[in-house]
Amino acid sequence: MDKTINEIKTSFHSDLKSCKTADDLEQVRIKYLGRKGKLTELFNQFASLSNKEKPKYGKKLNILKSDFNSLYNDKLKSLGLDTTQTKDSKDFSLPGYALPKGNIHPLEQVTDEIKSIFKSIGFSVAYGPEIDDDYHNFEALNVPKHHPARDMQDTFFIDPNTVLRTHTSNVQIHLMENQDPPLRHICCGRVFRNEAVSYKSFCLFHQVEGLVINETSSFSEMKGTLEYFAKEMFGKDTKMRFRPSYFPFTEPSAEVDIWNEKLNQWMEILGCGMVNPNVLENVGYDSEKYQGFAFGMGIERIAMIKYGIRDIRLFYQNDKRFLEQF
Amino acid sequence: MKVSIPWLKRFVNFDYSASDLADVLTMLGFESEVVTDFSSLKNIVVGEVESAEKHPNADKLKFCIVNDGESSHEVVCGAPNVDAGQKIVFARVGAVLPGDFKIGKAKIRGIESSGMICSERELGISEEHDGIMVLDSSLKNGTNIANIFGPMYDAIDIDITPDKAFALSHRGIAREIAAKLNKKLKNPLNSKRVIPDSKKKVKVVLDKKGGCPRYIAGIVKGVKVGPSPQWLLDYLKSAGQKSINNLVDISNFMLLEIGQPTHIFDLDKLSKEAIEVKWAKKGEKFEALDDETYTLDSDHLVITDSVKTVALAGIIGGKDSAVGDTTTNVLIESAYFNPIVIRKGSKKLNLLSEASRRFERGADPVAANDAFYMIVRLMEEIAGGELSSVVTDKCTFDLTPRKIVLSNKKLSQYAGFKISANKVKNILSGLHIDCKSRGEGLISMDIADILSDTNKLQSMRIRTEFRPFMRNIVDHLYQMDKITRKDASNYRHRIRFGSKETLIELANMLKREHSQDLPSEFVIKSTGKKNINNRDTQKWICTIPSFRGDLVNESDLIEEVLRCYGYDNIDASYSFSSQMQYVEDEERPISKLKQYLSSVGFQQCYNNSLQDKVQIQHFGVESVAVMNPSSDKMNGLRTSLHQGLLNTLDFNYKNGSQNVLIYEQGTVFKNNGEKLEDIDQKNAFSCLVHGDFTAPNVHFNPIEGNFFLLKGLAEGIFNNLLKINIKFIKESHPYCDTFHHIIDSQKNVVGSIGIINKEFLNKMDISYKTDVCIMDIDTYRFKEYSGYSVKAKDIVLYPMVNRDLNFILDSDIELAQVCTAMKNVNQALLKEVVPVDIFESKELKNKKSVLFKLSFQNPKKTLEDNQVNSIITEIINLISKKFDAKLRDQ
Repeated sequence: MDKTINEIKTSFHSDLKSCKTADDLEQVRIKYLGRKGKLTELFNQFASLSNKEKPKYGKKLNILKSDFNSLYNDKLKSLGLDTTQTKDSKDFSLPGYALPKGNIHPLEQVTDEIKSIFKSIGFSVAYGPEIDDDYHNFEALNVPKHHPARDMQDTFFIDPNTVLRTHTSNVQIHLMENQDPPLRHICCGRVFRNEAVSYKSFCLFHQVEGLVINETSSFSEMKGTLEYFAKEMFGKDTKMRFRPSYFPFTEPSAEVDIWNEKLNQWMEILGCGMVNPNVLENVGYDSEKYQGFAFGMGIERIAMIKYGIRDIRLFYQNDKRFLEQF
Repeated sequence: MKVSIPWLKRFVNFDYSASDLADVLTMLGFESEVVTDFSSLKNIVVGEVESAEKHPNADKLKFCIVNDGESSHEVVCGAPNVDAGQKIVFARVGAVLPGDFKIGKAKIRGIESSGMICSERELGISEEHDGIMVLDSSLKNGTNIANIFGPMYDAIDIDITPDKAFALSHRGIAREIAAKLNKKLKNPLNSKRVIPDSKKKVKVVLDKKGGCPRYIAGIVKGVKVGPSPQWLLDYLKSAGQKSINNLVDISNFMLLEIGQPTHIFDLDKLSKEAIEVKWAKKGEKFEALDDETYTLDSDHLVITDSVKTVALAGIIGGKDSAVGDTTTNVLIESAYFNPIVIRKGSKKLNLLSEASRRFERGADPVAANDAFYMIVRLMEEIAGGELSSVVTDKCTFDLTPRKIVLSNKKLSQYAGFKISANKVKNILSGLHIDCKSRGEGLISMDIADILSDTNKLQSMRIRTEFRPFMRNIVDHLYQMDKITRKDASNYRHRIRFGSKETLIELANMLKREHSQDLPSEFVIKSTGKKNINNRDTQKWICTIPSFRGDLVNESDLIEEVLRCYGYDNIDASYSFSSQMQYVEDEERPISKLKQYLSSVGFQQCYNNSLQDKVQIQHFGVESVAVMNPSSDKMNGLRTSLHQGLLNTLDFNYKNGSQNVLIYEQGTVFKNNGEKLEDIDQKNAFSCLVHGDFTAPNVHFNPIEGNFFLLKGLAEGIFNNLLKINIKFIKESHPYCDTFHHIIDSQKNVVGSIGIINKEFLNKMDISYKTDVCIMDIDTYRFKEYSGYSVKAKDIVLYPMVNRDLNFILDSDIELAQVCTAMKNVNQALLKEVVPVDIFESKELKNKKSVLFKLSFQNPKKTLEDNQVNSIITEIINLISKKFDAKLRDQ
């Protein structure tokens, strides 16, 4: 029995090997796996075996049968004749599941980036009210009533003494009123200006402002801080300049421009300066002892530079086709 | 302000081109732009019109032959004044005019035109465009126009910030250039006194409240009104000022030359040769030079001839007293008005003039005198006439120059580096600020000793000794916690602004109340010549010129020094003072929420806080109105984010996106009363869904963006992000049909969800196709909960046993109740009950067949079948009874 099995095995292997066409293979199948084939013959012989031998050869024959079948199938495949595969397969060129696409608003993304840059150099984040009194929005910041500097910010009034804040600097006053130096904070939020709505101005925008107060922070440190920010925000090769300007709440004051290679011009990104001693005195700080700097920037302006957006109104229109890009 | 470069050169010589000058001034704090720069214009030359004939195909055009010094060109010109023999400005083909206007060959009504004959407007000189410029006939053909016009009309535009009144004139700007170049400023005009023959005097009476601290008046008789001489016309034109007549031009010239506004009255139109400055009567009507009639208020300062109002002080002159063609005798006014009075007056009438702009920022009280005599001299030279009265100069203004002490130590502390003493002196003297060095030493004083002796207190110098002394005591007491922060602040204020008497009073009070807590010793810096070489303690006593009213304290001087030193020359220091206090960013938890929503497909929106008041009212909360809205569409503050989100839905729907998944965070406002404290400013967070959650695709049917999507989202947010259990409680809502509060286990409302009522959507004119669902999240609760930390639980290793139960129930039974009832049978072992299939059909009539999946687990051991079976039996009995249900398999 063993001998017969081995003979059949060897001849099956050599026959299979010599198969070149489908017809050859069909002959092999009939010869070995067919109804009157060699395997059937073997199983017929198996019936006549003694009960003692049956378990041993039963196992052997089953293995032989499955080996033959799988070898036959492999050959079938290698000759390219297998058809079962393509029937079951899928079209993997189809698009994937259409999952919904969501986005964080571009202004929020820019705010988050600015916040994280300043947090990385030790700033805390503070928030404050959008409607405030004239004192916190103007007077405490060294902008008395009837001062021409009021023209610099067109204001929405709720009543003659209550305004929609024109900058987030009101938060700085609240902060200083409630705690002693040292301070190292940024404030961010929405501010309002009574300006005609156009592609370059809207009735509101968003700001991030910073305030550092202690006994030593100088103009030079302010330059370093803002250079660090600009390089983190716009890249390490960012060219920037500080030019003298005027804000009632800082002195000396400066505006900071960065060079825009594409437009071949300077673009203003923020205003800054040493906190005016009058502001410190207004909140009860000793201006002989404490000094420091403040800065402020418009998020919209930075986002417009960063993403090349030309119309500020797009930020508040919430057109899906716009929002989906960020 | 348009600044003429040739005009600046009256005061100082420089070689900067227009664009270089703009850069230099920008870096000095005067943001500048080039208006006209002839050196940048190429191919524009002097040409001669050899012939000018009517265009054969057009009545209003002319066909000219122009010689540009090299060859002749055929040019079509539309100007009415072009004529043969004229010298004109010719732009050759290839030239680029201001405004990036390129000149090329063009066919005009059938004739090719090669070049253009230019008007003043085309060259950027003025707005004049009625005809072409006709040049002096002696000019040579082909001469580059830059050589002729550059020295006449090159100009820049400067944006002057409100603090820099001193720069609102050509002299002011020239002074900055001279300082930068280390040059002396020239004095082109003679301001020497003129001595009149006449003894007559104009009577001047000033107001009592200090509205007009200085008024100079005098009379010039025998003037002849006519056109101004060419040099004056050229200067005015180069600075963008139109010429009126020689008298008005002189006054305008003075304003632009030195920044001093003056006014010229026609003497014969005044009732008397007298001036009275006083406050207007409330409701008084005044007809001004601009032909407008203004209604004045009692805080408007006016100039009267002691009978009638002839000018609105510092703002605009009156029509009735204005000079005209027949004027022969004039009264000249040169004054200094209180900035606040002018500011208020001009604001109230919304009337800004070149004069008011200068007075409200603070004019130069000394220059008023110079300007007066310059005008008299110019008038005599240009218009004839002579000074025919003694000059009246009424002045209550203290003209003694202000002195400010600048300490080198403070300067370097502010700057963050040291600037050499010589450099500081150089900079300041360049700005006409005189500074004298003063050294100082240190003296120690016994505080108790001084306090006990009023004479000693009396003898202390207030600024350098007394104030620092008192400040020292207050600081000490505050640091020792002996006085409150509020008191300290209050005392410092009194010390800073109080008189000597106030300080003595305060000193006595502190001695009385804190005799035990006083510091023992006080170290004071005292002046003394021996320390003059000690740089660190060096101080300068600076004398401020009259035109720098903006310089009031030390930090103003520090700014001047750093500005002129050049911000770009200051090194950036990266050694940050790292003193800080940790304050948590309270918005951080919310950013987690936003990221969650955006990652499952929501777009974040930013909507306008300002909305239409009428629309806001529909949202049912009293809104805060804006007093001075820019439009009716933005006259109130939003009371809910729903409004903006609905508008966003509408906008996108109309623009082709029907599937809208959006959210917004922002402040909403509620008006509870009149005062600021009554305005509720709340941080809100809302989501809106409409249409499908997923886009159409081959793999599955789109998931609807409906109520259940938001409910699932809420479960995700509260169960998953915050790890809290929530329940949905049905509530009524003014504009939502199916509205639920989301509550936590303590029954706090943490949010809400609902479907917006269709009638409401129609009323608000919102486009929609499916349900519009809204979810609100209470950000304050959210922040509170996000503070809780997660505690990891052990994983139960014993297997979960799942069983299915299929009940037939009445259709209107809420399944949440059924699930809860099942769970309550054995909360310890029954972990979860979920309805997984609902089947309704005609055969079932008003019943539904519901398949529940029940999951059992014992955390301590493997569950026995019989244990599960007994719970199941109990559940079947309970549900059958309580809800009149039948088990389906029965």
